[in-house]
Amino acid sequence: MSLTPFLRRVLMVDLVKGLSVTFHNQSEKQRVTEQYPLERPVVYERYRGQPRLKVNPETGEPLCIVCNLCALACPEQLIVVKGERNPATKRKEVVSWTYDLSRCMFCGLCAEACSTDALELTQDYEMALYSRDGMVLDQAALEHGPEPVRYAK
Amino acid sequence: MLDAIKTYLHSTVTPGEAGSQLWATVYIIVIVLGVSIAVIAMNWLERKILAHMQIRLGPMRVGPHGLLQPFADALKLLIKEDIIPRNADKLVFWSAPVVVTMTAFTTFLVVPFGRTHAVTDMNIGVLFMLGISSLGVLGIIMAGWSSNSHYPLMGSLRSSAQMVSYEVAMGLAIVCAVLMTSLNPTGTGTLSMIGIVEAQNAQGTWFIFKFFPLGFLAFVVFAIAMVAETNRAPFDLPEAESELVAGFHTEYSGFRWSLFFLAEYSAMLAVSSIAVTLWLGGWLRPFANTLSGPAWDMAFSLIPGLSFLAMAAGCFLGTVRMPKIIQMRAQAIGLGVFGALLALVGLVLLAPGVRERVEDIFWFVAKVACFMYLYIWYRGTFPRYRFDQLMKVGWKVLLPIGLGVLILTALVGMRQELLAAVIGGGR
Amino acid sequence: MSQPIDSSYLDLDTKDKTFLDSTEMVLNMGPQHPSTHGVLRVILKLDGEKVLGTECVIGYLHRGVEKIGENRTYTMFNPYVDRMDYVAAVSNGLGYCETVEKLLSVEAPPRAQYIRVIMTELCRIASHQVWLGTHALDIGAITPLFYAFRDREEILRIFEKYCGARLTTHAFRIGGCIYEVYDGFEEDVKKYCTFFLPKLDEYEELLTTNRIWVTRTKGVGILKPEDSIALGVTGPVLRASGVKWDLRKAQPYECYKDLDFEIPTGMNGDTYDRYLVRIAEMRQSVRILQQAVERIPTGPIMAKVPKVIKPPVGEVYHSIEAPKGELGYFIVSDGSTQPYRVRVRPPSFVNLQALDSMVRGMLVADVVAVIGTLDIVLGEVDR
Repeated sequence: MSLTPFLRRVLMVDLVKGLSVTFHNQSEKQRVTEQYPLERPVVYERYRGQPRLKVNPETGEPLCIVCNLCALACPEQLIVVKGERNPATKRKEVVSWTYDLSRCMFCGLCAEACSTDALELTQDYEMALYSRDGMVLDQAALEHGPEPVRYAK
Repeated sequence: MLDAIKTYLHSTVTPGEAGSQLWATVYIIVIVLGVSIAVIAMNWLERKILAHMQIRLGPMRVGPHGLLQPFADALKLLIKEDIIPRNADKLVFWSAPVVVTMTAFTTFLVVPFGRTHAVTDMNIGVLFMLGISSLGVLGIIMAGWSSNSHYPLMGSLRSSAQMVSYEVAMGLAIVCAVLMTSLNPTGTGTLSMIGIVEAQNAQGTWFIFKFFPLGFLAFVVFAIAMVAETNRAPFDLPEAESELVAGFHTEYSGFRWSLFFLAEYSAMLAVSSIAVTLWLGGWLRPFANTLSGPAWDMAFSLIPGLSFLAMAAGCFLGTVRMPKIIQMRAQAIGLGVFGALLALVGLVLLAPGVRERVEDIFWFVAKVACFMYLYIWYRGTFPRYRFDQLMKVGWKVLLPIGLGVLILTALVGMRQELLAAVIGGGR
Repeated sequence: MSQPIDSSYLDLDTKDKTFLDSTEMVLNMGPQHPSTHGVLRVILKLDGEKVLGTECVIGYLHRGVEKIGENRTYTMFNPYVDRMDYVAAVSNGLGYCETVEKLLSVEAPPRAQYIRVIMTELCRIASHQVWLGTHALDIGAITPLFYAFRDREEILRIFEKYCGARLTTHAFRIGGCIYEVYDGFEEDVKKYCTFFLPKLDEYEELLTTNRIWVTRTKGVGILKPEDSIALGVTGPVLRASGVKWDLRKAQPYECYKDLDFEIPTGMNGDTYDRYLVRIAEMRQSVRILQQAVERIPTGPIMAKVPKVIKPPVGEVYHSIEAPKGELGYFIVSDGSTQPYRVRVRPPSFVNLQALDSMVRGMLVADVVAVIGTLDIVLGEVDR
C-alpha cells in the first residue's frame, strides 16, 4: 500500500475532516433558526394564505359580482356564493358568500378564476383554531380579512 | 470542630488515608452531589452543543437559553407513570437500575481531583475502577432479562458484548500507562491513581507525551475504547432509535429510566477521569516544566477564577442581547442573576487562600470537561457502526494495536537494561 | 412465532442455510417507525440477524388520488398531483401537465419550458437534499440532516417567491406557466448555484470518505444491472447499478435537448454508489441551472389552451425523470372535461419492489440503510 493512503488511514484524516466541519458550523453566523413567535418569518407577495374578499376602497362596496367562477374552479367545491340581481344597478349583489377553510388546499385556482380580482389569498398563515366552528368563513369575516395575532400582554 | 477543620486544611493526604471518617463522608457527599450536578450540566451542554453543531439553537425557552431545561426534564421524569411489564421479573427489574447507578457512582471513590482531594487512595485504584465498571455490565444484562421481551434482551446482550470486548482494549492501554509509572529509580510502578499522577509529576511529562508516539497511541486506543465502553456514538447501535431493537432500557419509564441515564453519564465521567489521570496528568497544571517558577505558578492559579469571570461575562453579554420585549424580561433577569452568581464564584476563586487549594480540582475538571466535549462532538459528527463492524474494530483493530503498543512501551522503557544485557551478553 | 425452517419457497441456495436446525423468526418493522420514511410496514423473515426475505405492506397512506382524478376536471386535478410525492411536488406537476399537453397536442412555449426546467432542477436538488439528510440520519449521522434542510430552505424560498407555496407548489398549468418570473428570479437562482456548491463539498467532506460511512454503505444492498432492469427500477437506483438510462437524455422533454449535462452512473450497484450518483446528480443539476438561467428566452408563458379543457378521446402515457425515477402518467380521456382514468406510475412504488432482492442475506441493520437508499416517499407509493 502506498504511503499517503496508509497515513491517511492511520491518522484518521477522514474522521478529523468530518470533525472540523461540525466544529466550524458551531458559530452563530451559521444558524438560521427563527424563534417563532418572537420572530415571524418573512412571507413573500405571492404566498397563498388565508383568503380575503376585497372591497372597493372608495365606496366600500364589495367587488364581487357573483359570477360564480371561483366556486366552479374550486376542486373541493367549498365556495358557496349566493347573489340576487339588484334591479337598480342591474348587477348581481352578494347575499351570502361562504368559504370552508377546513377543506381548502390553498391551490389558488379560485383567486385565479376571479374575474374582478375580488378574491385574493393573502399572506396570512396563522389560521389555527381550537374548534371547527370558525372554519367556515362568511362574507363579513372574509371582508374583514386576516387578523394576525400579536403576542403582547 | 475547629480542630477538625484545621487538621483537614493542613493534611497532605486524602481523608481515607488519614483515617478521618468525617471528612471521607463529607467528600463522598460532595462527590455524589458533584457528579449529579455534572450530569445535569452535561444534559444541558449536550443539547446545546449538539444543537449548535447542527446549526440550530437548542433549548431556549425553559429558563434563559434553556438553562432550566434539565430540571424540567428531571421533573417530568419524576412525575411520569411508572410502567412495569406484567410478566417482568419484579425484583430484578427494580434492582437493575440500582446496580448500574451504584457501580457508576462507586468508581468515584478513588478518582483524585487533587493530591488530597479524593475520598481515598487505594493502592489498586485503577484496577478497582475497571472492576467496578465491569460490574455495570451485570446491571445491563439484568435490565434486559427482567423486561421479559426479546427486544430488550437482544439489546442488552449486544450492549454487554460490546462493553466487555472493549474492556480488553481498555485494559491493555491502562497497562501501558501503568508500565510507564515504573520508570523511576526504584523501578516499582503503581496502580494507585494518585501514584500515577505523582509519577507523571516526578518524571516531568504527562504520559501522553512519553515515548512519543507510544503514549499517544495508548491514549488513542483508550479514547476509542472508552467511547465504545459507554455505548456512545459512533458505537451506539444497541441504543439507537432508528434500529429495531431500542436497547435494554426499552421497558423502563420515568424515574427508572433517568437512573440509567444518570448511570450512563456517570460512566462517561468515570472513564474520562481514568483517561485524564493516566495520560493527561490528572490535576497537574499544563506546561508545568516549560513554564515553571513561582510567577508562572501564580499566573496559572489565577486561571480558575478568571474562567468563571469569563463565563459570567458571557452571561452578561447574553443578558444584554436578549430581545427587549416584556415576555423575555424574566429570562433576562434570570440570566443576569446567573451571571452574577458565576462572577461571585470567580471572585471567591481568585482569593489567595482559596486559589491554591482549588487549583488542582479546577484543572482536573477542565480536562474531564474537554473529554465530555469530545463525546458530544463525536455524537454530532459520525455515523454509527453496525454491530459486527463494531466488534471487528474492537477485537481486530484495537486489540492488536494495544498489544503492540504495550510490548513497544515495555521494550523502550527497559532499553537501558536491554542494551546492557545485549552488550554484556555479547561480550 | 417460531417454526422449523421450510425455506424452499424462498428459493435460497444451500449455503444460506445454517448448519444448525434453526428457527425462522418473523419481525415486524411496523408502520410507525423512525426509519421507514413514512408509513411503511416491512415484515422481515430472519435467521438470527440475517434477513431471509421481506414482505412490504403498503397502503397506509392511500388516499385514492387516482379515483379523485376521475371526478375532477383536468385543471382541478393539478393541485392533487403535488400531494403524491410531496417532497418533489414540482416534478409531479410537470409530469401531469406534460401528459395532458400531449393529449391535447400542444406544447408549452419556449420561455415556459425554460422556467419549468429551472423549477424542476431546483426541485431535484431539494428532493436529493431530503434524501441525503434522512438517509444519513438512518445510518446514524445526525448532522447532515440539518445542513441539508438549511440549504433546502433557500430553494423553498425561491419556490415561495415564484408560486406562493413551498411544498405543494402547484407551479405549472396545462399549457405552460401561469406565474411570470418575479423580479430577481435569475439572480436568486444564480446566487443559489454559487451558494450551494461549497455546501455540497461540505456534505461530501462529512460523509464520502468517512470510514464509518464507507463500511456501512459499501457492499450493502447490491442490485445487479440485469435485476434492476428486470424489476423495472428506474432513477438513481438504476444508474448506480451501471445502466446509463436517464429519460432526460433518452426521451428528451421540455428543453433538455438544448442543455449540456452528464448522466452519472455507478459501478457496483451498492448503497455507496447510489449515494455517489445522487451527489453527482446534484452537481449536474447545478450545471443545468447555470446554463438555463442564462438562456431564458422572451415570449409568452402560456400556450393557446381552451379555458375548459376537453381533450379528444384517446389515451396517452408520458413519463419524466423525477428525482426518484421514472414518473409516468397514463391518462384515458373519453372526450369529457373529466378524465376517464388517471393512472400514475410512481417511481418509489416500483423501486420498493426491489427491496426484497436487495436485502437477502444482509443484516437487519442494513434493511434500514437500503430503505433509505431507495429514496421512497410513501405518498407516492400509496397515492
